[in-house]
Amino acid sequence: MPIHFLIAILSFCCMSTAVIAQTAKLPETVKVDPAALNIEPICDPKIAASWREAQEIEGVKIKESRLCNPDNPAWIAAAVKGTNNISMATLMQTGLSPDAIIKTDDLDGDGDPDRITIKLEIMELNGSSRDFDGLVPTFDIAPGIQPGAWVFAPKTSGMSTENFESVRANPLLRLPSPVIRVEVGDIVQIVLENTHYFPHSIHLHGVDHPFSHHEYGGNDGVPQTNEMHLMPGERRVYEFQPRHAGTMFYHCHVQTHTHLAMGLGGIIIVEENRPNNWLQTLNIGGGQVRHPSVAIKEDFDQEYDLHYHAMDKELTGIIQKYNDPRLIAHEMNQRYDITDSTEDYFTLNGLSFPYTLRESLITVEPDQKIKLRVLNSGGELLALHTHGHHATITHYDGVEHNPIAQIMRDVFDLAPAQRLDLTLNTTNDGLHSYGEGNWLFHDHREKGITTDGMSEGGSMSAIVYKSYLTEIGLPKGSHGVDLNTYFSKEFYQRKVPVWQDLDKAGTLGTPAGQTGMTAGIDPATRTSLLNFLYGLLLGISIYLLIAKRQLAKQAVLRVVSLLKGSKGSIKND
Amino acid sequence: MIKYFSILLVGSLVIGPHAYATEPIKPVDHSGHTMQHDDGHDMVHGDDHMMDAPPSEHSKGHTTPEGHTSHQGDGHHHMDEDHIMDHEGGMIMGQNFDKLPTSCDSISEEIEITVRAGRKYAEKFPGTAFAFDNQEWRVKPCAKVTWHFINEDHVRHQFMMHGLPRYLYKYGMFHLEVTGPKTISGTIIMPGADETYLVHCDIAQHMENGMKAQLVVGKGGENLPSIPGLTPYAFTDIYKHVDLPQVSDKTDEDSIMKQVADLFDSNSLNSGMLIFGLLFGVLSVPLIRKLKPIRKSNNNNQ
Repeated sequence: MPIHFLIAILSFCCMSTAVIAQTAKLPETVKVDPAALNIEPICDPKIAASWREAQEIEGVKIKESRLCNPDNPAWIAAAVKGTNNISMATLMQTGLSPDAIIKTDDLDGDGDPDRITIKLEIMELNGSSRDFDGLVPTFDIAPGIQPGAWVFAPKTSGMSTENFESVRANPLLRLPSPVIRVEVGDIVQIVLENTHYFPHSIHLHGVDHPFSHHEYGGNDGVPQTNEMHLMPGERRVYEFQPRHAGTMFYHCHVQTHTHLAMGLGGIIIVEENRPNNWLQTLNIGGGQVRHPSVAIKEDFDQEYDLHYHAMDKELTGIIQKYNDPRLIAHEMNQRYDITDSTEDYFTLNGLSFPYTLRESLITVEPDQKIKLRVLNSGGELLALHTHGHHATITHYDGVEHNPIAQIMRDVFDLAPAQRLDLTLNTTNDGLHSYGEGNWLFHDHREKGITTDGMSEGGSMSAIVYKSYLTEIGLPKGSHGVDLNTYFSKEFYQRKVPVWQDLDKAGTLGTPAGQTGMTAGIDPATRTSLLNFLYGLLLGISIYLLIAKRQLAKQAVLRVVSLLKGSKGSIKND
Repeated sequence: MIKYFSILLVGSLVIGPHAYATEPIKPVDHSGHTMQHDDGHDMVHGDDHMMDAPPSEHSKGHTTPEGHTSHQGDGHHHMDEDHIMDHEGGMIMGQNFDKLPTSCDSISEEIEITVRAGRKYAEKFPGTAFAFDNQEWRVKPCAKVTWHFINEDHVRHQFMMHGLPRYLYKYGMFHLEVTGPKTISGTIIMPGADETYLVHCDIAQHMENGMKAQLVVGKGGENLPSIPGLTPYAFTDIYKHVDLPQVSDKTDEDSIMKQVADLFDSNSLNSGMLIFGLLFGVLSVPLIRKLKPIRKSNNNNQ
């Protein structure tokens, strides 16, 4: 009887492991119907088209932005005039706190304010909640991709979400931490109001600042050398009067190996002192500077802030896995091992492709000179490559490179924390530019053009000439693939065969799975089912072995004696 | 985890009685005011500034200036009944002094409640970061409540109440916001029904980390979840055993090392010498005992 049972089990195993039925034809290609995808509109529909136009608000001239998601012009006006010098109507359109940017006192009498106070808060994005099974406030770096993050945010007013019904973050709360611009000689106060549940600080990397301030104490942001941690609910003033211009970096210096990677770092630029130099103190979200400084306008047609960052999903997932700050601290400070880490998300100005198309394109015209300020706040070297262009490196880490020794390259390596100032010249001479087009620029470490290993993603964007830009500010897609698929979360969930639409037959699509008993079962379930069957088989055989041990013993003895007998016979010969 | 819940339960029992509003109720004579409005009149008031808005209205506000354009004031005092903001971001939204909810015939009581907010109030709730001083307040239906919100931290906090009738309160919200240390006050009139209202701070992770409370009107409605010390969390972490070094874990070797170190430490010279003496004594006893028989034998020999 047990033998019959054994045979039945064995045959069932064979049936379930049989891979493909014996047929003359391989399976058909199956396709994902675009209607089955959650395709987002390419441009955020909540952003008004009027934001793209060149305009003047509160007497602040704001340049045109051709992007499909331009900055809110009210933000720019508030950043230039200060929140203390604009009307309540404009302020209400920004969402900023009335004391977010205070500009007073023309100390050198050159027509612009020289006392600048910038208030920053620390906000958590995509964190967990004890109230519901989801994240709040959410910020997508790519469709459906919501890494936990911390940012320095301009001091806001009101809710952290868009409204009570929404879990999406207030547009001021976003990656990256905002780009800060101050002038040489300004008396700058960065006031950090720690609204977060962990201690933090600000270190002004590369910016001329005193080690300690006579009134406010430690000014270097380093708990081990300079100042105590800024605890939750506390405020600290960082005051400095920079003497040297350049593209610099500010970041949290508490548990830097995790806090910087979580997003607590941004570009800070010291601009040269010029008369009537009303600076755009904050460039929220980075990218195009729509109100460039006087010095930049002297030499350049356009200016862009490009902040590259990278995040490890193991780290960013901690704040989504735990609620209790003590557990988060334990996981981050004692368990997370950065030496075993890998970076998974690569962002340019806080976003990954395809969202970079919305707001991080470099839109150009022929014969322009464009200033690019680039920061790498990721943990590894960056190899930024510009298609169709050789740009000139003018500054390293905010210091001008000897003008006669300046070099042109098409791959720019940036060490972690390094800043490069590049001059992009769009003169079609076969060297500076190969002519008009929709030219990619991307990290040439190939993982940098992926989002958690899924290509295309990562920090890639494009230098797009006006003639290649559509009405709504997207690169013309007539020569390339349909971009819509990239705007679905299913693509980054690896559910869409990348090459399914290359030809009508779908020759490189996905074959249909085999039909039969196991067709409906997903691989994980099938594996566990098989494992169960093997286990069952093993169990039965052990049972049989024990139950019929006399039989088995006899059999073994018989075999042994047989072997001995044969050996003996050999000897005898 | 059961232990954690029981702590919460005990905590709620302890804190519960203290959670009620302790401010004295001001005896106010309402007879002078005729507070009775018919429904229609109330709605007209509501239409002015506080009509129920579609969810997307807030975000549209960024695109087109709505409502606020006519209120260009002296730079930084935005005054309409619905939204007052000072130059430091102190904000009162959805204040209501006189619009009686349709469910009320008159104001039942006029009270003032002081709410303190800050990091220090979270200390009694392990695993939180910010909290209010009380987690629950109780008022009568149709009460006119003046809230004094004292923020004791040096950052922004909010006292945000949800679920109020939308014909009186924009988005159904009453909202006080201030950067501390500072106080801001606002008045509202509660509806007539028994109901429990959510009070929280909406700054990212503040509610999630403890700044959550409830206002119970009359007998109240259902308790809200995840209020520190008051109601169970909807979602809790799993707390695993942690193996931290203990004093008792220290090996004997360590203690000997410490004693040796102390011995050469000038401050504990006396104790060091004491040990030295003790050792000397202990070692010399057998030596002396050994010597004695030798002497004896010597004596015998002589």
